[in-house]
Amino acid sequence: MKRFKILKSLVIDSIRTTTHGSKKYHLWMAFLTFVMLIGMYCYSIQLKHGLSVTGMSDSVSWGLYISNFTFLVGVAAAAVILVMPTYILKDIDFKQAVLIGEGIAVSALIMCLAFVVADMGGPSVLWHMIPGIGVFNFPNSMLAWDVIALNGYLFINISIPFYILFKLYQGKKPNPKVYIPGALISVFWAVGIHLVTAFLYQGLQARPFWNNALLGPRFLASAFAAGPALIIIVLAIIRTYTAFKIEDKTLKKIALVVTVAAQINLIMLVSELFKEFYAPTHHSESAYYLFFGLHGKTALLPWIWSAISMNVLATIVLSIHKLRNNFKVLFFACALLFIAIWIEKGFGLIVPGFIPGSYGKIVEYTPTGIEIGVTLGIWAMGAFVFTILAKTAIKIETSEMRYKKLDY
Amino acid sequence: MKNKYHIKLYFASSFMLLFVMLSSCKEKEEKYHSIIDKIEVESKDYHGISTSSDIYLEDLKLIEITEGEHTFLIPERKSKIKSYSCIECHTEPLEKLQNNKKLKEAHWDIKLIHADKNTLNCATCHSGNDMNNLKSLTDRKISFNLSYKLCMQCHSKEFEDWKGGAHGKRLGGWAQPRASNSCVDCHNPHKPGFETRFPSWYNTKTEEERK
Amino acid sequence: MENKKWFSLNLSNRKKQSIISCGCEKTTENCNHNLVKDTEQKDGFEQVFDVKMNRRTAFKKLTASLLIGAGAVSTSCSVITDDDTKEKAQIDWEEQFKGNYKLMTDDEKNATVNRLVRSYELRTGKTISMSSKNAEEDVLFGYAFNISKCKGYMDCVSACVEENNQDRNSQMQYIRIHEMEDGKGLNFAEADDNYYHEVPAKGHFYLGTQCFHCDNPPCVEVCPVKATWKEDDGIVVIDYDWCVGCRYCMAACPYDGRRFNWSNPEIPEEEVNKEQHYLGNRLRKKGVMEKCTFCIQRSRKGKNPACVDACPTGARIFGNLLDPNSTIRWVLENKKVFRLKEDLGTEPKFWYFMD
Repeated sequence: MKRFKILKSLVIDSIRTTTHGSKKYHLWMAFLTFVMLIGMYCYSIQLKHGLSVTGMSDSVSWGLYISNFTFLVGVAAAAVILVMPTYILKDIDFKQAVLIGEGIAVSALIMCLAFVVADMGGPSVLWHMIPGIGVFNFPNSMLAWDVIALNGYLFINISIPFYILFKLYQGKKPNPKVYIPGALISVFWAVGIHLVTAFLYQGLQARPFWNNALLGPRFLASAFAAGPALIIIVLAIIRTYTAFKIEDKTLKKIALVVTVAAQINLIMLVSELFKEFYAPTHHSESAYYLFFGLHGKTALLPWIWSAISMNVLATIVLSIHKLRNNFKVLFFACALLFIAIWIEKGFGLIVPGFIPGSYGKIVEYTPTGIEIGVTLGIWAMGAFVFTILAKTAIKIETSEMRYKKLDY
Repeated sequence: MKNKYHIKLYFASSFMLLFVMLSSCKEKEEKYHSIIDKIEVESKDYHGISTSSDIYLEDLKLIEITEGEHTFLIPERKSKIKSYSCIECHTEPLEKLQNNKKLKEAHWDIKLIHADKNTLNCATCHSGNDMNNLKSLTDRKISFNLSYKLCMQCHSKEFEDWKGGAHGKRLGGWAQPRASNSCVDCHNPHKPGFETRFPSWYNTKTEEERK
Repeated sequence: MENKKWFSLNLSNRKKQSIISCGCEKTTENCNHNLVKDTEQKDGFEQVFDVKMNRRTAFKKLTASLLIGAGAVSTSCSVITDDDTKEKAQIDWEEQFKGNYKLMTDDEKNATVNRLVRSYELRTGKTISMSSKNAEEDVLFGYAFNISKCKGYMDCVSACVEENNQDRNSQMQYIRIHEMEDGKGLNFAEADDNYYHEVPAKGHFYLGTQCFHCDNPPCVEVCPVKATWKEDDGIVVIDYDWCVGCRYCMAACPYDGRRFNWSNPEIPEEEVNKEQHYLGNRLRKKGVMEKCTFCIQRSRKGKNPACVDACPTGARIFGNLLDPNSTIRWVLENKKVFRLKEDLGTEPKFWYFMD
């Protein structure tokens, strides 16, 4: 009974916290709401007319939605890179970052699920996927695995921080015996969600571009580069705009993680390029299309080449200690890396898988305005969720929000 | 003490992961290596099925033929020939008919586009003496209903395929009894090649998409 | 009604919805909003499910479609006037929450099919015949295509579109005929599968592709909800109402055998083929997958698929692989047959051969 009371008070306090803030905060939230509304409007058009309002076709049957989904799974998985050192190895340098990391994971996962739903042809029958009342093709379908993996990861990443914050809210110390097993599982789970998502593509013999053993490891490497890069940027923003203190040491440590992951990612990229172009078979045609264009169709060229140059530049910058330790350069490099991997792991990965088609025909893909609208809306939703989570978490961590402390 | 706890946890989770991986092998209902193996095994005790194409053949005039080990139905031909029987006009020998200016000209529209003049002319298949029947290269009588016997003299490979069912359009349904078109049901014997024509479908949307 | 796998709500027991109106503040008798006849052409799905809408219900529907099943609820719970509308709502409700066809008993299959037939009758006043015939034992369908015979007329394509009620608007086609140049082998990339000139063109040959009904179908493996499966007679089918539209099967198919309804399929009412099968050519809706079913509505009855019947050259051969005396078996045993992308291990039941 008492717990419910505390919970109720926590909810009320959180609502109070999230609805109060500076002018900048309100502007930010208003902006996100506006973008979300645009997204919802676009989605309503898509619901009414079907997916024909998107740029997808029978040839390129997955597009921007699934690209973003794939990328965001990586971002979500990366939160673990902060969880493991903090909870298990007791590296306190990461401690302040970890809740932010898990917040990012939760919002990334919510975005993932939203992207999947946006991509569905029949969202009204999604209950067919719910185990128990629906029919679940487990263990055969990797998508079924993915649904379980993502929802499980979402559950873990909500419950651990919630437990910790709930204890802190009451001014108690969270019990490591409760959260360490959870943290451990989440470590495995994070690697799991990303591998499973990679296997989703890797397991298709129909698409030689994806059907390649390096896809899974590359997913992981790029995830551990892009995710922490985002965390660095977010931490930097939080450091500037809130009272939450994040030490330079923490940022530097995360930057090291980003650097190593980016280097590994680059090595794997080279290995992949070598395989595709040193001894090209007709299975290399997708890669040719991606990097050089095929039969005069070159829609992806500007994207992939800017992604690769950004990727290489960022990795070089990060690899040089002097540059990495300069925060302005670091933030810039992280932003570059994040965008580069978003392109590369997003439609740089998904779209060429479908081009050329099963019988060598080339149909290009360009997202439509409505598709972009929905995508932006979902990103705005992610940012919205994260802002709310982070604001509450920070208030509790900085001891500003405590049970019975605010009497009203 | 703390360390031991961690090690235990690690072991437990690794074990769980291993278990998940082992238990997750794809379900396979099939026990055959390939479809050909499957067909071989499963058709061993084939005792026939209730589906039959009889009802789809009811309205067709068919005759049963047996060639080698194959017995099947082919369309009856004589009733489809416009001026059968031939002897209704061909009451006298051909030379006489040709010189008789009072008679209407017949068969003027037939132009033989089949092999070349060294190989074929009218008399290769039609007999001047027995207009109601066709004749083989060795002057044996062949009924219009069994005209395939005439074709097989040269087209022996096609004949083999036709008997087996690889050549010749199937009539009725896929089930037994089998009925197939005879040669002349698809090929005009005087001009056996297929005509060129425009396809009956064109997809403008596909064209647009691939621009 | 016992042991149902779908959820049903007995809405017909509701008593109070006898009078009241559609929003024009008249009682039913005088209100002519519901009586306005729809003269415009209706598309496939609407022919089955369209409830006559005014602006208010249209708006309601739009918002309601965001919620699971709320569309059906709103029509049934809102002011309902006559028994037909009530029945329609009841059917819609049961349709929304019906189970996976594969898991249904024969009685349930029958009930589902009858419901769809009744629904069509209520919406259009026309009767269709819909079968739920199961696979027969000792039947395994196979297909052979003679590359030497095909002349590229594409009669099969148009016959298929008409038989299977495919969307006319997007010009969906299951079959593609690839025009290949002699001397270049099977070069699909350079082949033209959308030609329009006199055929057969000199120096070319023609090869048709469609769903190959693989014995080891990757599309079935990947479906997250088991909305697609291989029937006992080897036909790979889709339960259109169970499909969630994720298009994973489309990505998994190496043969371009699957099609997606990107928008509402449209077929002129007079062109609708009314001889239907639940797993075959019944009318689809937007957002679901569909594909060649070897014309299940025909083949289960012993007929040849429409493409086989339409082919003027006899290049297409269809039959029972388990019948040692069938023509398809003769072709497999006596001709030099091959299949496409055999190295993928999908085991298609669709062979090619030459004279």
